[in-house]
Amino acid sequence: MVPFLVGFLLFMIVPLGYAVYTSLYTTRIIGGTVFSGASNYTQTLQSSEFWSGVVRVIIYACIQIPVMIVIAFFFACVFDLGVAKFGRTFRTIFFIPFAVPAVVGAVMWSFLLEPQFGPMVHLANAFGFSGTNFFSPSLILPSIIVIVIWEWTGYNMVILYTALKSVPRDVVEAAILDDTPLWRIIVRIKLPLVRPAIVMLVFLNTIGALQLFTEPLILSYFETGSVSVNYTPTLYIYNTAIAADQTNLAAAGAVILGLVIVVISTASLLFRRRRGELA
Amino acid sequence: MSVSTVRPAPAPAADPAGVAEPESRRERRRRQRLEEQESIIPVELYGLRRGTVTLVTALAFVFAIFTLVPIAWIVINSTKNQANIFETFGFWFARPFSFFHNFSLLFQNVDGYGTYIQWFGNTALYAVLGGVGATALSAFAGYGFARFSFRGSKMLFYLTIAALLVPITALTLPLYLTYAKAHLINSLWGMVLPSMISPVGIYLMRVYVDISVPRELIDAARLDGAGEARIFFRVALPLMVPGFMTVLLISVVAVWNNYFLPLLIFNINTRYPLTVGLGLWSERAQNSGNAQLFPMVVIGGLVTIIPLIVLFLILQRYWRGGMLLGSIAN
Repeated sequence: MVPFLVGFLLFMIVPLGYAVYTSLYTTRIIGGTVFSGASNYTQTLQSSEFWSGVVRVIIYACIQIPVMIVIAFFFACVFDLGVAKFGRTFRTIFFIPFAVPAVVGAVMWSFLLEPQFGPMVHLANAFGFSGTNFFSPSLILPSIIVIVIWEWTGYNMVILYTALKSVPRDVVEAAILDDTPLWRIIVRIKLPLVRPAIVMLVFLNTIGALQLFTEPLILSYFETGSVSVNYTPTLYIYNTAIAADQTNLAAAGAVILGLVIVVISTASLLFRRRRGELA
Repeated sequence: MSVSTVRPAPAPAADPAGVAEPESRRERRRRQRLEEQESIIPVELYGLRRGTVTLVTALAFVFAIFTLVPIAWIVINSTKNQANIFETFGFWFARPFSFFHNFSLLFQNVDGYGTYIQWFGNTALYAVLGGVGATALSAFAGYGFARFSFRGSKMLFYLTIAALLVPITALTLPLYLTYAKAHLINSLWGMVLPSMISPVGIYLMRVYVDISVPRELIDAARLDGAGEARIFFRVALPLMVPGFMTVLLISVVAVWNNYFLPLLIFNINTRYPLTVGLGLWSERAQNSGNAQLFPMVVIGGLVTIIPLIVLFLILQRYWRGGMLLGSIAN
């Protein structure tokens, strides 16, 4: 208990406090570090680069999360019902990407989608989409979405599958005896019962989406310029701290992003508590 | 949400103390399969046509292909030399067979920016220390939260839950800034110690202790005069094994796959973990004209993912039963 609390204090509370402290100062080439109050915050909030990243991850989240959850729920239902053959094997296969580091996942997909040599480009050409460039400004976001869906669908599916398993069997049997069609059993009985798990997944995926970082960074290694240095808020913070060496400004960015996510989290917690979904 | 949704692992391991004759692998599999079949309502009862079963199986097959395509690609291309990776068909083999040559490059410092095998050792070290540490701390703290109430214990637990919501990014940059101040850049402990703090692990262990360690058992042990430490290690811990394994699995994977923290806090390549090393190679291969690094990125990626895939296949029952919510936010 005690070691955890000490660690908790040293590695969570202290750094957070130090980040807030740092964000209130400015280091100048001449004059050293001076207290500058909220100026780093106003500078970040007025920066169009920061905001374009924020807007981009929101668009990304609005597409990626629903698509992934629908696929995950579909297959969770399929495996729960035992409708498909070889269900166990498929479940294991779908889960494999969870064991693959995001860096390696992004590297593999970068090779596959690479504009000059990537096999997927050849495939697209073969199907009549000649001149497809998955790293072009219009296709880079869909490419990232595909990569993240590849990485996380299996994990979401396993969680929904577990939730579906807890739906009482006699309820479903009663519905079958009433000649309720299958799609209705799913939509009217199962979906409402696993709704809390779905809400939880949407919420966790949203937090993950707002922090999108690894996949765009790796893609930018493979095709310089395909992903701008401020593509997502986390990339903005990273590049401000490391490449531009403006740690004070980056600290302000990290605090703002942290606050946004905490606000979303708290709002969703309160929302769920009001609806009585949290014990 | 019903309790079973968040339960770390199901009944099969109900005999963690190993008192009874250990069930053989095959027997266990058969029993699990039978249990599973019993719990499934036969498909015919839903009034489905055969065509539907075929169609759904086909859809699952398509998604399985999508899942396996990158893995197949990396396996096939680990056997190719640099020219063939780009010039031959991506999903078939090509001569010469360069797997062993590529593999040997992982033991050399080819471009002066680091050696793969060293990064592999680093990752394994960080993952073992961080993962085992996180699991042990989570077990202590989870047990403490579940079975003791002391002044402020409720508040502390809520604080832990709140920490679940703090995004990794918002925490990593502050850690980096603190390390820069405290001269902890490039320190092993700078990587391992924060990895040990796992709010998810504590939450899961607490839930698991609540389900699987009866209060009466602990009270009985106390009446028998056993000390608290003895009760924890001899009575509670054996009952916590399935939950313990799940948390261990999640923590090891989290450290193994971590990219952002080591990217910030290490600036000498002998300290890099695999993720940072492979990221660096990808960048140098593409942008610094070091194209000889491409085959190494490919085989390095393959060697990186094999240990974890094997680990997951061996420990299947711990995530199959009820993998947990919460470790997704990274």
